[in-house]
Amino acid sequence: MKASKSPGAELPLLKKPSRRAQVLGNWELYLFMLPAVLYFLIFHYAPMYGIQIAFKNFVPSRGITGSEWVGFDHFERFFNSYYFWDLIWNTFSISFYELAIGFPLPILLALAFNEVRNGKFKKTVQTVTYAPHFISVIVMAGMIITFLSPSNGMIVMLIEALGFNAPQFLTDPAWFKTMYVLSGVWQSTGWGTIIYLAALSGVDPQQHEAAIVDGASRFKRVLHINLPSILPTITIMLILNMGNILTVGYEKILLLQNSLNLESSDVISTYVYRAGLVDAQYSFSTAVGLFNSIINVILLVTVNWIARRTSENSLW
Amino acid sequence: MITVTQESKGDKVFLICTYIYLSVALLIVLYPLIYILSASISSPQAVNSGQMWLFPKDVTWAGYELVFNNPKIWNGYLNTIIYTFVGTLLNLAVTLPAAYALSRSDFFGRGWFMAFILLTMFFSGGLVPTYLVVKNLGLIDTMGALILPAAASVWNIVVARTFFQSAIPKELQEAAHIDGCTNLKLFWRIVLPLSAPIIAVMALFYGVGHWNSYFPSLIYLNSEDKYPLQMVLRQILVLQEMSAETTGAAISGDIAQAMNSKAETASLIKYGVIVVSTLPIIAVYPFLQRYFVQGVMVGSVKG
Amino acid sequence: MNIRSKAWKLLMVGGLGASLLAGCGGSDEAANSAEKVTVSKEGFPIVETPIKLTMMAPDVGIQNWEDMVVLQEMAKKSNVSFEYKNAPKESFDTKKNLVFASEDYPDVFYAAGLTPSEQLKYGEQGVLIPLEGLIDEYAPNFKALLDEYPDVRKSITAPDGHIYSLPVVEFSQHWYRNPMWYNGEFLEALGIDKLPETTEELYDYLKRVKEEDPNGNGKADEIPISSVTTSAANVRDIRTWLLGAFGIYEEEIYVDDSDVVHFTPVEEGYKQYLEYMNRLWTDGLLDPESFSQTGEQKKAKGQNNQLGLFSDWHAYMTKGGEPSDKDPMFLPVRSEYVDKAAIAKNRGITTGAFAITKTNPYPEASMRWVDYLYSYEGALLFNKGPEGTLWEYENEADRTKKALPVPGGGDSEEYRSTLTPNYGIPAPTVSMDDITKGLKNDFDLWVEKETKTKLLDNGARAPFPALFLTVEEQSEINSLNSDLSTYVKQMEAKFITGAEPISGWGAYVETLNKMGANRVKEINQAAYDRWKAS
Repeated sequence: MKASKSPGAELPLLKKPSRRAQVLGNWELYLFMLPAVLYFLIFHYAPMYGIQIAFKNFVPSRGITGSEWVGFDHFERFFNSYYFWDLIWNTFSISFYELAIGFPLPILLALAFNEVRNGKFKKTVQTVTYAPHFISVIVMAGMIITFLSPSNGMIVMLIEALGFNAPQFLTDPAWFKTMYVLSGVWQSTGWGTIIYLAALSGVDPQQHEAAIVDGASRFKRVLHINLPSILPTITIMLILNMGNILTVGYEKILLLQNSLNLESSDVISTYVYRAGLVDAQYSFSTAVGLFNSIINVILLVTVNWIARRTSENSLW
Repeated sequence: MITVTQESKGDKVFLICTYIYLSVALLIVLYPLIYILSASISSPQAVNSGQMWLFPKDVTWAGYELVFNNPKIWNGYLNTIIYTFVGTLLNLAVTLPAAYALSRSDFFGRGWFMAFILLTMFFSGGLVPTYLVVKNLGLIDTMGALILPAAASVWNIVVARTFFQSAIPKELQEAAHIDGCTNLKLFWRIVLPLSAPIIAVMALFYGVGHWNSYFPSLIYLNSEDKYPLQMVLRQILVLQEMSAETTGAAISGDIAQAMNSKAETASLIKYGVIVVSTLPIIAVYPFLQRYFVQGVMVGSVKG
Repeated sequence: MNIRSKAWKLLMVGGLGASLLAGCGGSDEAANSAEKVTVSKEGFPIVETPIKLTMMAPDVGIQNWEDMVVLQEMAKKSNVSFEYKNAPKESFDTKKNLVFASEDYPDVFYAAGLTPSEQLKYGEQGVLIPLEGLIDEYAPNFKALLDEYPDVRKSITAPDGHIYSLPVVEFSQHWYRNPMWYNGEFLEALGIDKLPETTEELYDYLKRVKEEDPNGNGKADEIPISSVTTSAANVRDIRTWLLGAFGIYEEEIYVDDSDVVHFTPVEEGYKQYLEYMNRLWTDGLLDPESFSQTGEQKKAKGQNNQLGLFSDWHAYMTKGGEPSDKDPMFLPVRSEYVDKAAIAKNRGITTGAFAITKTNPYPEASMRWVDYLYSYEGALLFNKGPEGTLWEYENEADRTKKALPVPGGGDSEEYRSTLTPNYGIPAPTVSMDDITKGLKNDFDLWVEKETKTKLLDNGARAPFPALFLTVEEQSEINSLNSDLSTYVKQMEAKFITGAEPISGWGAYVETLNKMGANRVKEINQAAYDRWKAS
């Protein structure tokens, strides 16, 4: 890099500058923020007045502001639902199950990739594991049902060939969550490594060289150099994930759901989806969405607080 | 990768384990992919009855013929490529500067900005008001409606910020400042060249997002000649999804018949559609992989 | 705290700005922009100088509507042409709601499937204009239809006395749902020449299918009866037909012969149906995959010649091969509890197919345009395409036609879908026997005969008329139903598979009543009484 020789910098960063100086000196950073701020203002904050329909009976042709207020009716309807506690339990348990298995695996895979010499093998594994991300939910669910079909499913046949009795994967409530989570892991682990691979590329090779001189084994180096260097990313990803705990998409669940596994497969989003099927119930789904958001925010703030206490990495 | 040293026995075992782990992962992931490829050229009956389980059976190219004989498909490809390219450029232009600014601990007000952005991850006005904003900006039925409302994502900004925070050495920035380097120059001349991996990741995340997106085109576009690929493919598959409901409501005879007879075609092409729509974007990945190699960054600092 | 208050400020400012913007958008009323045109009350063209309107319609993605011969011809004939605002059929509802919300109305809705509550809501607010006056003046064909069938008028008139939409009228389509079909080869192999007439005889047939290897491949791979489950309902494809054996016309709401409305899931007959199904399940006669398989998997079993009894539009669509009269239609069976089976028939009318909005500058011309679709010539044009493409007259006087070879070969239905919009969508029109006169092949005629002898002659009737609930009734039903229907669905599956013993029936009914089953019944009874009295 070329550094200019003239000492034109107004702010030597040696001592803490005044706030005013800090703002003025970094005026360009505000310019950097400008496009993003404009974007969020226009496309996210401007429409936010729409949240009020959670407390109204929204009729499209009357408009959002013109619809009548109904207070907490929609929330009460949701809380009083026969299925409310089932929904909450299923949503939480599926999310945590998914997090427990789906979160560490990409990290492990990324660390493993990093150990392998660049070559055809590495490239192949990387590309292959990344590919399932692009399979649409419909085909994905179709494949799960085909593979697990009691009469001719591949996986069922395999289990039976090994001399075991295959469980009723598709209809036994006890198996639903496992089926959902493992297929999700299959589909997204490779894709999930990308972010960690990028973080790993920041590791300074000199650190490794020094460690080798000290006689550290490969495993030790992974543990003490690579892992710490991606720890900030891991922490941030974990916090973001916690802020999405109640957000379990409905599409895949809906396709795998049936009356027999309903008690363990029904989550908030599928419940709202069904309500909307009858007659686009915007107000009701907004109310449930708002409830979700509030829980999510609470979780995110809590986890972030813990992260800030225990490490140097946090969202704010 | 470190090549200079002689490996100890423990290292060798460790490496072998790594290879085994990766090979197992490869096999597990590979099988369903082969299944999809085979299914896309097998007869639907063989697929659905479980007779086709690895290699194609009763080979037929009818599925691909149906897809490629659809006159809208090429236009759809073209549109998708344009939307993806323009959209991703815009995404990078919005995301990277913002993420960089947010990564600077001497950026006064950064907590406020963070909160401002994070809040939108949780609270959204919903479909109707967002539609009204797009409509009032005069974007309906334009490319703008597809790329402007998706100009940035909170998640990606946070991820990029984390990268800048942890991978760009603070000393570098301080040194640059002392040398009188402005923030603009610092970002453009030093930070960006050091950030190839995160730029690649962002381009990939956003690009794939645009490539796969169909919902905005569904609600904002009216002209079929502007439809992206995913929209065209969905239209081809529409009747299949509906056919599951055929036995549902008491509907008119014409509809039921149309759905029933279309269901078969759709089940023929659904695997082919996956292949057609994802091969191009999978092919891009190996080119991006070289940015994810350890040492790539530091190498460029020295260079 | 600070963060929150600032966020709130932003939120308010953003909200105000956008709602102001929204306010100054839409509301340009039609009246001031329209020049007066004379709309002729009969004959073509409808208007002397060509006019152009906008039309919103669902689209199945086969052909652009601008390029459809039928629409082009209609525009030439009438001088009324349209700018089409299509949305893919699967997501049409989403787009329809946005259109209402953004006040960006088209001039007419075509095949829009407006629900009764939408007609009522938007009608009361003046977004959809009342049509009854226009019908009297500008719709001779449709008016004649209403005079001939007073029930149609009853069904399309909203509780406020206005008509906000025109319907699809299909008196020649009798099936309530896809019929069930027997596997003809199995019947022959088992030497059965008289179809089962009671639930016991049906049971025996199914049992024999399971045990006597009627497909003759030496393996016990036969599946006596198979079904699929969609996210909307369990085993609905076969349930419709088996419920009838216990005197029940429909799975949710039906009215009996003495005008009493029933909510099926609490009926005694429904319990008997569950017991029967449980017996089929326990004895391995009902496909154990009925609650989890996809439609495609079921079809694959049909093509492997494994199924003894199944539901589909036509039997060959499941079994594969050519249309054949060897697979007889299911004859509704009766149980020991009833004298004769209840058979549901399509009510033949779907409301909400066509509507005119307040921004339409030429409602009279629009009404004349759509009225043509309720005449013989118009319905023929929109159903079969213009003469000389897929058909021509053999004898124009008695309306006998003959089919022409499909241009360029291929499937005639597929070709038809490129000519006319009326393919797979609920388009405003009337179906008449004369339209297909001479165009029916032997298979069509056979199916017609099966329908007549097995369903119509055995007392098939519509389970419940097409009627309106008020906005309040509808929203109460909607909120009750989201839990009710889930619970019913879940318990049905449990009772059938034995996960819940039938002794739990009492507790089940009690729970249903707690969830508001009675209210659902009361509301529908009230609506039915209103309909009956009108």
